Amino acid sequence: MEYKQVIGSRRSIRYFHPYRPVEREKIQMILEAARICSQAVNSNWAKAIVVDRDELSDEDREALKTPTTTAQLDLAPVWIFWYGDPSAPAAGQRTLKELVDVGALNPSHGWSHAYVDNVVWTQVLTPIMDNQAAVLAVTSVEAGIAICQALLMAVDLGLGTGINAFNSDKAKAVLNPPDHWIPLWVQLVGYSAESPEAGGQRPRAAFESLYFEGRYGTPFERDEKVVEDLTAAGMLQPPAPLPWRRDEVRALARMFGLPE
Amino acid sequence: MTVDEVGAFASIQRWLEAHGSHWSRTAAEAERLRKLEVMRRYCEFAERDPDALVGNLLRQTPTGARIWLKRRRAEMARIDEFEAMVAPDDPRSGRETANVVRSFFIHNGVALSATPLR
Repeated sequence: MEYKQVIGSRRSIRYFHPYRPVEREKIQMILEAARICSQAVNSNWAKAIVVDRDELSDEDREALKTPTTTAQLDLAPVWIFWYGDPSAPAAGQRTLKELVDVGALNPSHGWSHAYVDNVVWTQVLTPIMDNQAAVLAVTSVEAGIAICQALLMAVDLGLGTGINAFNSDKAKAVLNPPDHWIPLWVQLVGYSAESPEAGGQRPRAAFESLYFEGRYGTPFERDEKVVEDLTAAGMLQPPAPLPWRRDEVRALARMFGLPE
Repeated sequence: MTVDEVGAFASIQRWLEAHGSHWSRTAAEAERLRKLEVMRRYCEFAERDPDALVGNLLRQTPTGARIWLKRRRAEMARIDEFEAMVAPDDPRSGRETANVVRSFFIHNGVALSATPLR
């Protein structure tokens, strides 16, 4: 799939074919995409635990459900529990020097081993790690970038996917993550039972209300020619709800015996 | 309690109105009566009237209504029991009937679902 089409085709899928397993190599590809994302300090902020729905005991599977995720957890054959690792920058002194060594951070921009050791490590990273609010914000953003790549890879592989909140206490008991990991999202993966449009592209706030030029308050002007080009490329797609969406949802609910 | 009495409760009216509005359709009279009959049976099963069923799961706080989580779990289990009881030999039919009750709670603001049939 073309890149713009991948972005445009992503939806939060909530109905999956429960009987169709996901190929293991596709799950690996999703994780590989997350692993090479942009990451501050070149540290590995995002960690994941992949769970095969059918490998869980009935008791554990029930424990992991929440009232609004019950149905999609049952329907999706693979659950990827994403966590943020706030201890990731602890390796920053080493990982930054690695970036210097491989030519990513260069003297042309002021980088050197000495700068990492004497300035960045002592005056930037260490204070950040000591500031709980800062480290939480950075961890969440950095892990979010990885999760985004994981989502887009799933779309590119023809899979349905979406991220959902999860009960972190129950997940802690079942999955046994390290105590310091921060629970973020569970990414559900499977073959979508919804149509590829899944009802259309979701409503978004007006472009000009989100992005500004020069200073806040001056909207970044949206060029309609660009909009046309992105529409032609499949990134901007017909908005939800498509006329048949209610019928589709009702048919899916009836197929799976879910309430209306 | 009769079907007509069930239909007079505020939570029932709220449900039928919200359901019709969400799906952009008004239930035919036969369908409305079928739903009310299911709710009548469920109320009998649960020994509570419709408003009390909803009220039992929601508590008012200064920031708005909150759901009693343990009570909701108990209610979901009770609906599952009801489903098994109403059509022991026909799971699809039992599910369809119990989903009327689930729909009633959902459109009254109590999020819950069912285990999908696979």
